[in-house]
Amino acid sequence: MAETEIELVGRCLGGDNSAFAGIVEAYQDRIYSFALRLLKNESRAEDAAQETFVKAFRSLSSYNTAQAFAPWLFRIAHNACMDALRAGGRTVSMDTEDFPDLPDSGPGVAESVSDSIDSERIEALLASLPPIYSEALLLQYREDMGPAEIARATGVPEGTVKARLFRGREMIKAKLAAGNATVQGRRP
Amino acid sequence: MQPFRAGGRNTREDDMKADNTDKLIDRAIAGLPYRRPSAGFRARVMAEIAAQAPAEAGFGWVMKAFGLIEAAWAGALVLLSAGFVYRVLSENADLFAQPGGTVQFLKLMAARGAMLTAKLYAGLSLVSDLAYAVLNLLPPLYEIAAAALVAAGIIKAVSGGRLAAQRI
Repeated sequence: MAETEIELVGRCLGGDNSAFAGIVEAYQDRIYSFALRLLKNESRAEDAAQETFVKAFRSLSSYNTAQAFAPWLFRIAHNACMDALRAGGRTVSMDTEDFPDLPDSGPGVAESVSDSIDSERIEALLASLPPIYSEALLLQYREDMGPAEIARATGVPEGTVKARLFRGREMIKAKLAAGNATVQGRRP
Repeated sequence: MQPFRAGGRNTREDDMKADNTDKLIDRAIAGLPYRRPSAGFRARVMAEIAAQAPAEAGFGWVMKAFGLIEAAWAGALVLLSAGFVYRVLSENADLFAQPGGTVQFLKLMAARGAMLTAKLYAGLSLVSDLAYAVLNLLPPLYEIAAAALVAAGIIKAVSGGRLAAQRI
């Protein structure tokens, strides 16, 4: 992106709506991929991504330019995806942590994961996790956000984010050990 | 080999393996490819934004007009109040010159206030009596129909014309 996000936001706030196209261009793949991995449906993911950008445009005046833009945008995307999940009949636990009992990872983990995990397998593993865990893992490792930024994006305390990251990884390890990485719903 | 346990005691070898697995998972997630939305996505977003702009601008104008009307009302009220206060003060200017005049003035104002309240109360009582008399002339069926209409109007206004399930 030639212009920085702050410059583009500044132009938008100055009344130049066309500058927002630059923001959409820069973030459309990231936001769409994030939504797709949570919603597991291309059409709903595209709707959620579109809603994210439209809401972001309308709320630009509330964006604090002293803070990073990505967590702010992902916060809107998170809300859009949670709304979509609820609309689809999914129960998304927001205030209480629904930590499933984890089986011991067992002796097979290290052996089953030789030296790499291919993207198809990790996609399937992420898709098999409850959205709050896959979301935390995606924001941390794919979007390179820290726990504080993830907390801001998802609206939960930082400690909860760390717990979700730990639990998410443990669930993936357990599934790797069991070798039962099943895909729930449509694979992105 | 000791099995890896998330909350249990592990050997250094187990810890290293678990750490290695963590790194593999982290790296695999970090390496996930980004997906691209369908062609024309950006154009659709910009079209949606453009479509909403006139509605928002219209709403902005309505709010501005409302603000102007409010400001005009407030201005007129301030002018009227200032005129009233000036008239009252000028009428009672000689009262302030006398010793204990301020207390007398306050008593006078209290008396006038009480008279005004009594007049307002009498006016409201008259309106209430008239309304009661008119309602007594109407058959009860009209009362029920009117009440039902008012209730339906309130429900419609509060719910915004949507069903309860849709609001959730």
